[in-house]
Amino acid sequence: MTAIQRVAILGGNRIPFARSNTAYAQASNQQMLTATLQGLVDRFDLHGERLGDVAGGAVMKHSRDFNLVRESVLSTTLSRETPAFDLQQACGTGLEACMVVANKIALGHIDCGIAGGVDTTSDAPIGVNEKMRRILLEAASAKTTGKRLSALSRLRPGMLVTPALPRNGEPRTGLSMGEHAELMASEWAIAREDQDQLALQSHLNFARAYDEGFFTDLMTPFNGISRDNNLRADLTIEKLRTLKPVFDKKVAPERGTLTAGNSTPLTDGASAVLLASEAWAKARKLPVLAYLTFSEVAAVDFFDKKEGLLMAPAYAVPRMLARAGLALQDFDYYEIHEAFAAQVLCTLSAWEDKAFCKERLGLARPLGGIDRSRLNINGSSLAAGHPFAATGGRIVATLAKLLAHKGAGRGLISICAAGGQGVVAILEK
Amino acid sequence: MKTIEVTSKRGPLGAMAQLLGAARKPSGPVTELPQITYVLPRTSLDSEHLEKYRAICGFSAQQGVPLIYPQMLTFPLMMQFMASRYCPWPAMGTVHLANRIEQREALHAGDELRVELTTGELYAHDKGQVYTLELRILRDDKPVWLATQGLLRVGVKAPAGPAWASSLAADAPLSRQADFEAPSDIGRRYGRVSGDINPIHLSALSARLLGFRRAIAHGMWTKARALAALLPGHPVAAATVAVEFKTPLLLPATASLWVARQERDVQFEVRDGEGQKPHLRGQLHIGDPSP
Repeated sequence: MTAIQRVAILGGNRIPFARSNTAYAQASNQQMLTATLQGLVDRFDLHGERLGDVAGGAVMKHSRDFNLVRESVLSTTLSRETPAFDLQQACGTGLEACMVVANKIALGHIDCGIAGGVDTTSDAPIGVNEKMRRILLEAASAKTTGKRLSALSRLRPGMLVTPALPRNGEPRTGLSMGEHAELMASEWAIAREDQDQLALQSHLNFARAYDEGFFTDLMTPFNGISRDNNLRADLTIEKLRTLKPVFDKKVAPERGTLTAGNSTPLTDGASAVLLASEAWAKARKLPVLAYLTFSEVAAVDFFDKKEGLLMAPAYAVPRMLARAGLALQDFDYYEIHEAFAAQVLCTLSAWEDKAFCKERLGLARPLGGIDRSRLNINGSSLAAGHPFAATGGRIVATLAKLLAHKGAGRGLISICAAGGQGVVAILEK
Repeated sequence: MKTIEVTSKRGPLGAMAQLLGAARKPSGPVTELPQITYVLPRTSLDSEHLEKYRAICGFSAQQGVPLIYPQMLTFPLMMQFMASRYCPWPAMGTVHLANRIEQREALHAGDELRVELTTGELYAHDKGQVYTLELRILRDDKPVWLATQGLLRVGVKAPAGPAWASSLAADAPLSRQADFEAPSDIGRRYGRVSGDINPIHLSALSARLLGFRRAIAHGMWTKARALAALLPGHPVAAATVAVEFKTPLLLPATASLWVARQERDVQFEVRDGEGQKPHLRGQLHIGDPSP
C-alpha cells in the first residue's frame, strides 16, 4: 500500500448557469456535461489523455442517462480509455464526487481525475402515468396478441394528460425543500430582512467578482450565454422586500419569510473540477490552486426527531473540525451553499447556540460565530443559481482559486442536500 | 363627570336608525368635549359570537381571544354615545382615524366583564377636528383591556385643541408578507357580527349614496385581518396594537400586508394589491408596554 498523498485541485470549469426554461431549455444533461468537460480538457490541454477516473452525476436524470458521465467523456477529446461513473447524493453530488476522486488520488489508486455534476430542470424526465406504465409493461410481456390487445384496451386518454412529473419534494414528508426551509427559519426565528440582506450580498459579491474577471478562467460559454443569467447586478434591498413569501401556505400561512429572492431558483448547468496528485501536476507543470484536505458527510433524522431537513451540515462541520483539530474561526473563507438564505442563517445560528451545540452536537462550548465578511465573498447559489449536482464543483473551483490568489490559507465548504444530508470539506493552500 | 348606565342592548338596526336620525347636528368646531361615561355593568364574552368573529377575520381558535376582539363589546356604548346629544358631530360623516388597544391580561370566552366608554380629548387635525373616546374593560374590577378611538370630523374649519400627532414609528422598512382578499360581501358579513351596519360598508349602492364609489371595508375588520396574520399562533396575555387608518379599502379588493418584525415589535401596513397605497398603518408589541 502506498503512503497517503496530498490531493491537489488544479482548476475547474463550468458553463454559465441558466434559470430553468431559459437559455438551456432544449439542452440535455449530457450536452451540458460534455461542454463543461471539454472546456476543462481544452484549458488544461488534456486532449487524448487517459485520466484515472471521472466521477459525476445528476439529480434529475432520464433513465436513458444510466451511464451519463461515461457517455459524456466519450463525447470529449479525452482518451476513450478514460473510465467514468455516475454517482448521486442530491445537492451534495458535486462535492461528493470531488471527495471520491480525491480519495482515490490520496490512496494512490489513481493520479488524476475529474469530478463533476450537471442538472437540468428544463429537460426534466417525465414518466408516463403510473397506471399507464403498468399496462404498457403488461402488454410488452404478453405472450399472445389477444392478451396484448386486452391489456392495451385498458389505456385511457386521460392517462396521457396526467403524467408522472418529477417533484422537488421530500418523499417522506411530502413537503417541498422550501417548505422545510421555512419550518427551519421559523424554528430559528430567522428574520425576513436578514434573509433578504444575505441574498442581496450574494448578488453584489457575485457581480463584483464578475467585474474583477474572477470567473473568466472558470467558465466556458454555452448555448449563446457567457454569464449566469440569474445574476441581478442591479438588485436592491427594496426590490427584495416587495417579493411575497412563496413556501408558507402549507407550513406557516401568512407568516412566511422565504421568497423567490432569498431562495435559489430552479437552474440548469454543469461544472467540473480537475484533481491530481502533486507529482502528476508537477510533471505537467500545472500550478496547484489548493489542496482538498478534509471531508465529512452527515445526515439528520428529520422525520422522527423532527430535525431541520437542511441542518445536516451543522453536524458535519464540527465532526470534521474535531478530526482536523481546527476551530470554526480558523478559516479565511467560508463557502456555505445558499440553497436558501435561511439555510445559511439557520446553520450559523445553530453554531452560536449554546443549547444546540451542547444537546445536539455534544460540544462543551458553542462553535461560535464567523467573520461574516469571509462568507461567500464571491457570491454563491442565490446569485449564481443552483443546478443541484453542479453546485459542488462551482464552489470547489471558486474556493480553490480564492486560496490560490491569497497564496496561503484555509477555506470551509458546507453543502446541504435532500434527505437530510450534509456534505462538507476543507480546502487548504 | 356624568355617568350613564346602559342596561338594554339595542339591536343594531335600532341603533343605526337612531344614528341616522341624529344626522342633523352642527358641524362647526367644538371647543369642549362633554365629560361623560357610559357603562355596561355586566356583559359576558360569548363564545359563539367569538367564533363567528374569528371566522370572518381569519383568526384561528389557537389564537384564543384576539386582543382586538373585545372592542366588539364596546360597540353598544359607542352607538349610544354617538346617537346622544353629547356626541359633538353626527356619526355619519365622522371618520375612524385611529385605534389603539392595550391588553393587560388574556381574556377568555365566558368572562364576565364591565365595559366603560369615556369621552377623551379634542385635537386639531389638518383635515378637520379629532375627538377621542377611551374604552375600558374590567374583569373583577381590574382593567384588563384599554383602547383609544380617534374620530375625525372632516372639514371642520379652525379646529380647537392641540395638534393631532401620529404615535406610530414609521422608520423600519417593510417587506411584503402576504396578500389577502377583501371580498365584496365582507362589509355585510362583518356588519352582521359587529353590529356596525353603516351603509358605507354594506353595498356599492348604499355607499354611493354617501359619496363612496364602492362599499368600503370596516377599518376594524382590516385591522383584525392583518392581526390574524401578525399575532402568534397561540393566545397572548399582554400586548399593544395601534393603527391609523389612511385610505378606505374599496370592496372587493386584494390587499397586501407589509411587515417589519423586530423581536416582539411589528410595524405593519395594509396596502393595495400593488403595494403602493397604504390603507392602514400600525404597530404591534407583544408583551407589557415598553417604557
